[in-house]
Amino acid sequence: MNPADLEGLPEEDKQKMVSMIDNMQMKDSLRMYNRLVEKCFKDCVDSFRRKNLDSNEERCVTKCCEKFLKHSARVSVRFAELNAGAEAMMQQQVLQQQQKGG
Amino acid sequence: MATPPNSNMSPAEKAKAFDMAQLEMEYRVDLYNAMTASCFAKCMDTRYKEGDLNVGENSCVDRCAAKYWQVTGIVGQMLGGMQQQQQQPR
Repeated sequence: MNPADLEGLPEEDKQKMVSMIDNMQMKDSLRMYNRLVEKCFKDCVDSFRRKNLDSNEERCVTKCCEKFLKHSARVSVRFAELNAGAEAMMQQQVLQQQQKGG
Repeated sequence: MATPPNSNMSPAEKAKAFDMAQLEMEYRVDLYNAMTASCFAKCMDTRYKEGDLNVGENSCVDRCAAKYWQVTGIVGQMLGGMQQQQQQPR
């Protein structure tokens, strides 16, 4: 599914799809927020002698977030490439089958 | 993958197409999140000395994504094969 698939739809259906996509993105952002907090907490915070984070822990959490976000961005680029590659392969297979049958 | 809803469908078919489209989107989002989490666990140095990814980590992520994708493909094939076996009359 890509934005081009939505082109031929009547307005009402397009709205429905768009709002579904927006909803999913919102849900996913919130989930990622929670996951990231949990991950960085697990990796960076180990001692509970004090109530507040010390400067090392704070720095660790900051770097953890930066790293994860950069990592996510890279994976999304690769994911899009792999997706596009798979779709292209499928289209090629469909074409080959059509040629055989025709 | 599945046929997206289009204007030639009956309301019932269209409703089903919407549901399938949503399912597929959720599947892709889950796949992306799982890939991200797995490759982070496998490739990243959890000492978090730097906020940036170094060259080694970059390459690791690229290869990890490619391998994860291949695993997804294999598992899909195996599940498809198993389903076919279960549906065949004995």
